[in-house]
Amino acid sequence: MALVGACTTLPTVAHAQLNVFACEPEWAALASVIGGELTNVKSATNAYQDAHRIRAKPSLLAAMRKADIVFCSGAGLELGWLPILIRKAGGRDVQPGAIGWIMASDHIAKLEIMDKVDRSMGDVHPEGNPHVHLDPRNISVIAHVLNERLSAIDPDNRHTYDKNFALFSRKWDSKIEQWQAQAAPLEGRQVVVYHKAWMYLLNWLGMTVVATLEPKPGLPPTASHLEKTLRQLKSKEILAVLVAPYENEKPATWLASKANLPVLKLPYTVGGSDEAVDLVSLFDETITRLVKEK
Amino acid sequence: MSKGLILAASVAVVFSTLPALAATDASLQSLRAEIQAMKQVYERKIDRLEKKVANLEAIQSQTAGKATAIEPTSNNLITSPATSKRRVNDNIFNPEIGIILQGQYQSFSERTGEFSGFAVGEEAERGNEGFAIDETELNFSANIDDKFRGNATIALHEHGDEIEVEIEEVYIEATSLPYGLHAKAGRFFSELGYLNSHHAHADDFADRSLPNRAFLDSNYGDDGLQVSVVLPTDLYAEIGGGVYRGDDFPGGGAAGNDIGSWTAYGRLGGDIGDKTSWRLGLSTLQSDNATRSANEGEVSFAGDSSLYIVDTRVVHSPTGNNAEREILFQAEYFHRDEEGVYDVGNGAINYDDGQNGWYAQGVYKFLSQWRAGTRVSQLYAGDVPVGLIGTALDDQGHDAWAVSAMVDWTHSEFSRLRFQFSHEELRDGQRDNQLILQYVVSLGAHGAHPF
Repeated sequence: MALVGACTTLPTVAHAQLNVFACEPEWAALASVIGGELTNVKSATNAYQDAHRIRAKPSLLAAMRKADIVFCSGAGLELGWLPILIRKAGGRDVQPGAIGWIMASDHIAKLEIMDKVDRSMGDVHPEGNPHVHLDPRNISVIAHVLNERLSAIDPDNRHTYDKNFALFSRKWDSKIEQWQAQAAPLEGRQVVVYHKAWMYLLNWLGMTVVATLEPKPGLPPTASHLEKTLRQLKSKEILAVLVAPYENEKPATWLASKANLPVLKLPYTVGGSDEAVDLVSLFDETITRLVKEK
Repeated sequence: MSKGLILAASVAVVFSTLPALAATDASLQSLRAEIQAMKQVYERKIDRLEKKVANLEAIQSQTAGKATAIEPTSNNLITSPATSKRRVNDNIFNPEIGIILQGQYQSFSERTGEFSGFAVGEEAERGNEGFAIDETELNFSANIDDKFRGNATIALHEHGDEIEVEIEEVYIEATSLPYGLHAKAGRFFSELGYLNSHHAHADDFADRSLPNRAFLDSNYGDDGLQVSVVLPTDLYAEIGGGVYRGDDFPGGGAAGNDIGSWTAYGRLGGDIGDKTSWRLGLSTLQSDNATRSANEGEVSFAGDSSLYIVDTRVVHSPTGNNAEREILFQAEYFHRDEEGVYDVGNGAINYDDGQNGWYAQGVYKFLSQWRAGTRVSQLYAGDVPVGLIGTALDDQGHDAWAVSAMVDWTHSEFSRLRFQFSHEELRDGQRDNQLILQYVVSLGAHGAHPF
């Protein structure tokens, strides 16, 4: 594919890459696939950071300054830091609603949209659960949106973006079938999670959350809440306690040992483990490890 | 053809396939299995397609009425959706409203907490003893249109017996300028050093450092225009400056159409690995022909004041996850040259000297909701001319200094409780031990905090 790319660009003047400012590694990975060599992608965060609570640090301002595209989850996930970056250093094309502003959660059907919200409920997202990347069907839809945007911003290279998208889409669709077949035995199983960051994955696989370690969204687990949760778990058939790389293991380990459950550390996003180096391997490893626990 | 011939032909067909029939039981089973497998594959495919369609239908109903994403336009005015499901009131365009409530209990060991060597503004003084609410800040912010954003922060507080409504910041920003430009106009806290542009409610300590109190009256906020540029460099680099009316401390007495004060600053910043971020800045505030009143009107200054600040801030997360563990280091060094006359009530005395001050603080987040910090600050007053010996500007050989230690509990990003102990020696012989218990909470919309 690189050779074909070289053949089509050699005769013309080399033009600047599009700079993509991706808020999270999953979107950086997707942008790299659809944009390929034509994009220069930077991820603002890594798998070991909590995207809710990032500092609007100088290096992000410098990256935003050069951004042609801002590609994030939206639905309030980056509300604590992204608006400052966009206002201070973002150009016209990446302002909210502009052509280079892409919020993934805007383009899919969100779970847990809330009618009535109050801060006593914790750090809730009224627009819906923003952690949309863990359902591969969402990735299909968002990849399509990204392809369209890239082509609209950079029409000269539309054929390259279309080609990259078609290649990805074909492979992705067949992988989704494979994963669904592989994950069939997981349907109906239950898990304990730290924070409801896994909802789209679980919804896709037909699994449910039986308890969260956080007493309320955004609050760290307390001893009393863990005790109460432990009592609730007694009579249920649970697969595991899921932990993401940016979550504190200790509460999960405590609960798991008391409830005789395995702790399952999943990569959660690209870069969250040695194996999860791109979107395909992220889901490969996630499904494989979930199925192994059954 | 005759019926008999058809019958004969069919019988022949049946008999010709008879030997194959016995062997096809196994193949029938495998055929059945194959059909079953195919059925499953197609069922899953249909299931997937159905879900895709449902997704797309949901997107359609969600995005009905929104501006088409593909149009290359920066026009993003909200339009009401075509469906009748959603009732839209006039207040849908209301600004984001947030309120900051603060209060504290303070206990001091010294009766007074006056500075020596410096004539200071009202915000530099220590607060009231006992239980007292601090400023209540009302904040309104919203996009005005696709090019401008507006922000108003109005503080309500009591000074003595009077309730003051203070306009802390009321400004508009141009948010979508090209080339990394950003402009702000109105009244706002100028970018000067680190702390000046931040609201005190977001500080890591219950009070501001000595130099911020003495040189900037906690926040220098004036009416004017500030422009900044983030440069297209790999390392974060920003330069900017502003021109102001010159009414706020350390300026004062602005009249006519002069630019009373102006600022300029430059900043660099970046990352060291994945776990550390840093920022370094250089700034200046020049106030020309200021006529400044200080020490509650007892002291006045008329002349030029030049302030220079070097600031640095380093944030490190030992685990790479700032939400869990984090260490902050922050320091600012101030130098001020003043040339003019001071009047302490006995006539104007010429003054031409410089003063210095600095603070350094460290805060360690040792649990996701708990932080402990310590801060040291010091002031160096200028050499006092003969005419001002024994006045407020005479430091009497003593450099004011203070050290503070605090612990705070941040249950959520909207509430914080803090316990702070400070030891301040602002005058010779004045050793003030201060205990402060503070709460800071935010209701409603709460914008993001800068680095």
